[in-house]
Amino acid sequence: MAKIVVLGAGIAGHVAASHLRRKLSKKHDVVVVSPNGNYQWIPSNIWVGIGRMKPKDILFPLAPLYAKKHIDYKQAKAVSFHPEGDQEEAKPYVLSEYVVGDDKGKREKVTYDYLINATGPKLNFEATEGLSPGKNKTHSVCTYTHAQEAWIELEGLIKEMKQGKKIKILIGTGHAKSTCQGAAFEYILNVEQELRRHKVRDMAEITWISNEYNLGDFGMDGMLMSYGSNIMKSNEMVEMIFEDRGISWILGAGVNKVEDGVAYYETLDGDHKEESYDFAMLIPSFSGHGFKAYGKAGEDITDKLFRGFMIVDADYTPKPYEEWSVQDWPETYQNPSYSNIFAPGIAFAPPHSISKPRKSKNGTDITPAPPRTGMPSGITAKLVADNIIEMIKHSNNELHHKGSMGNMGAACIASAGFGMTKGSGISITTYPIVPDYKKYPDTHGRKLGKTFGSIGLAGHWLKLALHYAFIYKAKMKPFWWLIPE
Amino acid sequence: MTRRISKYKRFMMMNPIVQFFKFIYLSIKVLIVVAGGHGGTRNA
Repeated sequence: MAKIVVLGAGIAGHVAASHLRRKLSKKHDVVVVSPNGNYQWIPSNIWVGIGRMKPKDILFPLAPLYAKKHIDYKQAKAVSFHPEGDQEEAKPYVLSEYVVGDDKGKREKVTYDYLINATGPKLNFEATEGLSPGKNKTHSVCTYTHAQEAWIELEGLIKEMKQGKKIKILIGTGHAKSTCQGAAFEYILNVEQELRRHKVRDMAEITWISNEYNLGDFGMDGMLMSYGSNIMKSNEMVEMIFEDRGISWILGAGVNKVEDGVAYYETLDGDHKEESYDFAMLIPSFSGHGFKAYGKAGEDITDKLFRGFMIVDADYTPKPYEEWSVQDWPETYQNPSYSNIFAPGIAFAPPHSISKPRKSKNGTDITPAPPRTGMPSGITAKLVADNIIEMIKHSNNELHHKGSMGNMGAACIASAGFGMTKGSGISITTYPIVPDYKKYPDTHGRKLGKTFGSIGLAGHWLKLALHYAFIYKAKMKPFWWLIPE
Repeated sequence: MTRRISKYKRFMMMNPIVQFFKFIYLSIKVLIVVAGGHGGTRNA
């Protein structure tokens, strides 16, 4: 009998727990430890942020589902890691603290045979002075509560615009090293469409602000893609969309401070500038949770497990951009020091960024961090679960399931407006996620047939279909496992 | 605001009949990319 503990119940954690439970007999324990009592389908937060969906449409409570599926659930947060146990507890464990109910504040040593760290990122708002959802007229769509607050504020502004007030909207990244440009990109297009729907588009000036060097970088060094019968760069595609919708842009901007209605940023030229706004949605930087790890005797071994995020089988040797390769990226997401610990999804420490690193003339890093959200989170979580299942069933430590982001495709269906007949979506697929410049030297490191873009109503339908399909899958309804990650 | 998408192109992008077939095509294509497999890179 084996006990597998999964930390986190986001996309990666929930996918791992679901597959483990389906494929392992009941004599094995699957335990999920997560402070959030709800599962949320994060990609649809965008629609909560424009008032076209309610939080209840994108979430469901985890406890009843896990009880029904025989997954042990502890609504608690991880406090520290003890991969060798301690003087009293022989088995490795994670010290966890309950966050609700009568047990709130109580700590428990949750022992394990295998540990999946799927704790995702900490939304590091503190890294940018003054950036906090709901303060200084800035908002976020990173969680459903943030998104709902953003909509309440935006709805109020729409009413004011209808009475003749002109406003400025600023959407993009709120830190020099933020990631998730895709979410901000979706939000700016959805906001623009909503303003048109409310017939107040001409009352708003909309600006994109981003740490990207080029439009359409998305933290993936941009893309060369098939677009209809043409070949187009992602920056050309995004530029076409922004110009067509009257959205202006500021690039290479590292936002470092936010005051009431003013964002201060540094440019790659080293200039310090500011941009005023009435409503802003700025994605914060992501960081690790700052977990500590301790050895058997209580000594600090955090360096063996974490470098911000969790250390896995990546090549972390510092090297210049010209020497980066897809081989640097992890394949199994296994910690090299402890073979029973894995970190899929956003929880693993990337070896470096994907986009070319750039510094301002003052030496400030202004480079998008690599995205690992959504589809890569699901795929890496499933392969980690499959490897653990094989380790348990065959009693060996060979890992047959591999999935490097340098040999993995991803689809980004970016909503560009909600509505069954008026909606729009920008469907982009990319293969591989991390460009392989040796394998595909003439096409910017990507396979053209599998890297394509398409704009139109079908994209919105596809995003909506994926919303319902993935919530169906997450609820583990009949044949859920047939839906790919 | 600069018109970068022609009226014809916009019509094609928003026409439900055209887009229905595009939806089928996109669904299959996305499935091929996503379910088309993944693997390592170090022994490739």
